[in-house]
Amino acid sequence: MKLSSILRLPALLGAMLLGTAAVVEAEHTSNWAVLVCTSRFWFNYRHLANVLSIYRTVKRLGIPDSQIILMLPDDMACNPRNAFPGTVYSNADRAVDLYGDNIEVDYRGYEVTVENFIRLLTDRVGDEMPRSKRLLTDDRSNILVYMTGHGGNEFLKFQDAEEIGAFDLADAFEQMWEKKRYHEILFMIDTCQANTMYSKLYSPNIIATGSSELDQSSYSHHADNDIGVAVIDRYTYYNLEFLENEVRDTSSKKTVGDLFDSYTYEKIHSNAGVRYDLFPGGAEAARSRLVTDFFGNVQNVEVDGHKNTTLEEDMLALSKTIAALRKKADEEEAISVGKEDTTTTEATKETQNGTLLTHKSQFAKPLTDDNWLVKKLSALGAVVGCAVLWQMGSWLESGQK
Amino acid sequence: MPRLLASALSLRRDPRLLKLPPYLSLLCIVVGVVWLFLLPLDDYSRRTYISENALLPGQVHTYFGGSDQNVFRAYKHETDELAGKGNIEVNDKLESIAKGLGLKVGRQNFTYSSAGNTHSGQNIYAILQAPRGDATEAIVLVAAWKNVKGEPNRSGVPLVLTLARYFKRWSLWSKDIIFLFTPDSIAGPQAWVDAYHDAHDSSRVASLPLKSGALQGAIALDYTRETRFQSVHIVYDGVNGQLPNLDLINSVNHVAGGQMGMGVAIQEMWKHSNSYHDRLQTMLRGMLKQGLGLASGPHSSFIPYHVDAVTLQPFGDGWQDEMAIGRVIEGTFRSLNNLLEHLHQSFFFYFLMQKERFVSIGTYLPSAMLVAANFTIMAIALWVKSGQPEVQKVITEKTETAEEAEKLALPNPHAAMERDLFLPLVLVAACQFAGVVPLYLFNHLSESALIPAFVLFTVLSAILPFLLSNLLHTSATSTTTQQYHLIRSFSLLLLGMFLSSLATLNFSLAFLVGVFSAPLTFVRPCPNSPILKWLSMAVLYILSPTTVVFVASVLPDLDEKVGCGLGEVLRQAAFAWDVTGTYTPVVVWCVWWPAWIVGVVSVLGRPGAGDGKVKNA
Repeated sequence: MKLSSILRLPALLGAMLLGTAAVVEAEHTSNWAVLVCTSRFWFNYRHLANVLSIYRTVKRLGIPDSQIILMLPDDMACNPRNAFPGTVYSNADRAVDLYGDNIEVDYRGYEVTVENFIRLLTDRVGDEMPRSKRLLTDDRSNILVYMTGHGGNEFLKFQDAEEIGAFDLADAFEQMWEKKRYHEILFMIDTCQANTMYSKLYSPNIIATGSSELDQSSYSHHADNDIGVAVIDRYTYYNLEFLENEVRDTSSKKTVGDLFDSYTYEKIHSNAGVRYDLFPGGAEAARSRLVTDFFGNVQNVEVDGHKNTTLEEDMLALSKTIAALRKKADEEEAISVGKEDTTTTEATKETQNGTLLTHKSQFAKPLTDDNWLVKKLSALGAVVGCAVLWQMGSWLESGQK
Repeated sequence: MPRLLASALSLRRDPRLLKLPPYLSLLCIVVGVVWLFLLPLDDYSRRTYISENALLPGQVHTYFGGSDQNVFRAYKHETDELAGKGNIEVNDKLESIAKGLGLKVGRQNFTYSSAGNTHSGQNIYAILQAPRGDATEAIVLVAAWKNVKGEPNRSGVPLVLTLARYFKRWSLWSKDIIFLFTPDSIAGPQAWVDAYHDAHDSSRVASLPLKSGALQGAIALDYTRETRFQSVHIVYDGVNGQLPNLDLINSVNHVAGGQMGMGVAIQEMWKHSNSYHDRLQTMLRGMLKQGLGLASGPHSSFIPYHVDAVTLQPFGDGWQDEMAIGRVIEGTFRSLNNLLEHLHQSFFFYFLMQKERFVSIGTYLPSAMLVAANFTIMAIALWVKSGQPEVQKVITEKTETAEEAEKLALPNPHAAMERDLFLPLVLVAACQFAGVVPLYLFNHLSESALIPAFVLFTVLSAILPFLLSNLLHTSATSTTTQQYHLIRSFSLLLLGMFLSSLATLNFSLAFLVGVFSAPLTFVRPCPNSPILKWLSMAVLYILSPTTVVFVASVLPDLDEKVGCGLGEVLRQAAFAWDVTGTYTPVVVWCVWWPAWIVGVVSVLGRPGAGDGKVKNA
């Protein structure tokens, strides 16, 4: 055994001793992103570009395609009006083809409906729904919900056919919370009068932000004169700018507060809004969340570092039962052996005894908690003793020099 | 409250109420006309704006130019050689050029006959199929070999060929593009559009051998000049005063004026200072063109089929070259290419006062409606009046004027008279149907017979009221005042009805006819005052349909020094009726003329002794 592991032992033991009653610390174990564009048609190119830009960003920061739900109602890359077939750009410099060769659209075309969106959030889907189209989150999942399209006061239009209301959205989030489908949500929306969309949310652990206030329009940032349409909206453009420049990789310590502070009226041309009140700890706690808590993928895994009390108690109870049963079986056996002495032959007796013996030898020592404290203390004593011995040894060694 | 009701009810019986309608009618006319003159003010007109999100005009770089200039010169050289050659020869050449570009080519023959003349020719068109489109929609680029004035489209045809070659290089078309070359500017496009929509008379117009999807828009190029130009003139009047969607005009204006920085003019207002005067003039020119309902260019025939279209005419001396107008067309086509559905967002009923200022139908319609309503008000008043007992003849004889008679004799308010409807109905119906005669005559005679026929008709139409009046007077039972009231009532009722429905279709025509026939509301039989009678007659004859048509034909045209002459006006009217289906002659001969005849007859009327049976209610 390596020395270091021995040295770590006391700490581990200490933790085992002290950690039993400790509160489970708030932490997420997976990151998901739901990226929704709600408008179709060529002149809404920028909305698809918005979503695809965010898609590229969350992928860059490590969220895998399997944990990104991407909803695209139209296919700009293959639109005959596209001067650059097979591509979607969000900047007139056309440096990055957002469509590229590695893109996974989960909901496309007319699948992007209010119903499908709410079913996705609340996971009320049929058995036939493939896993790639489901939001398989749990109570340890952080979710980034990004939406863009054409909206109004407390609604967001889906494909010119229907709309989702702020109340529908709030109820969907509440269902998610009730079903323990999220740990924390960052809700981000870029549409006209966007801030009204999150005004009705009432479920905890949600940070919400939007591009514009009631009666304010959200504007596009710039147009590409060869594609002939606006390619990105201002709010998304400046979000991306922050994410590209400040959050270069998952180790970034930039907080959500830093991101929100980067919004100014001069840049966005509308008053971007933020809502912290649903978050436990309010603005302070919310603002201190890392940007990568939502946009990046965390590598944290839930280790059984802390004492898993339930399991141990179960194991203990099981061991006790097993021990009790064995004892009972032994007693019954002893009685039957005494009775059979006269009736059975020697041969059978020998074989029976043989099996009994071999049987017994297989028994593991059952767990007991009879003298738990004593055991712990003796173990501690042994370790402390070893440590003392080690120290003594080294002291002696140095003394000899 | 009950007292108020009672007093309102008693007011209903008040004879003074019946004196109100003429003043009310006058008020309607005055307000209607003043309304029109208020429209050019800033408070009543609005700035134009692009309503259709998909259009996005002026958002694309246009690349037409550079070496395309050489291509243009080459095509120009080729088409210049065709000058003076026959239609078929020209089309042979155009076909070989279009086929050389890899376009599918179709030809179509047509023969129209109008006023004894035959208008025949052959259209040729080439279809550029959208490389990635689905061929369900198409946009059209038209170049007529000759423009509406008969001048050869010297630069227009080669420029459209150059654009065809240039557009072929792009892969971003979502709609097919049809390049249409017609021998003239009205019959050719009309034949082609009719046949495209299978609405043609196959005995005169051949079917199209080749078609594409639903037409979404059309741009015609009328580019006769061979020197550099300054500005572009947008011609947008369609047949029967129908207009293209305002978004199309705005888009062209946006691309030409905003992006390319060239001037934009409308309604032949070569200079426009945006003053009240200029705005009014632009609007009135627009109204006049709309009222006439004639085709104003190759685009006009498209509009009745709900295909929004305009003609572009470069004008003025400046530094813009062929490539500039080519880029305007490129930019406009890129905008039309963005469309997802027919232009429908913006206005179809509007008046432009300036390239960026318009009034919509909601603002201007009350004007024509008020003018039309004045006839209806008077018709109702006359109907009510005809049902009340006549003033006693004894009193009438004693008094000097009819007005005093009315003052003296307040009729028994509870008495009602039986109306003798037969004669008024027959007379008014006969006059209405008589309108078919001039309509048929002027649309079926040969050109040489048109002027004599018009003179003859003018004379007959002037004499007819006298004949009718005598007939009424000498008939066995002489016509009563009541019957004259009813005659006028029916005639005005029809006029008011026709004009108010027409106002929603062709505002200007309804307004103009309404204003010209406004005196009909006020003229009445005046047997006791020869001065008033002959004064009324004079006014009516000055404002008669025949006089107006004649004066209009000799008055100087908008930009020409002399009028085009009566023969030309009649020939054009017949051509418009036969080829483009202009309905203005119907309105003139079957709505206005009958009302005028009845009006003159009632002025000449000598109401006989009232034999109306008084019935006590």
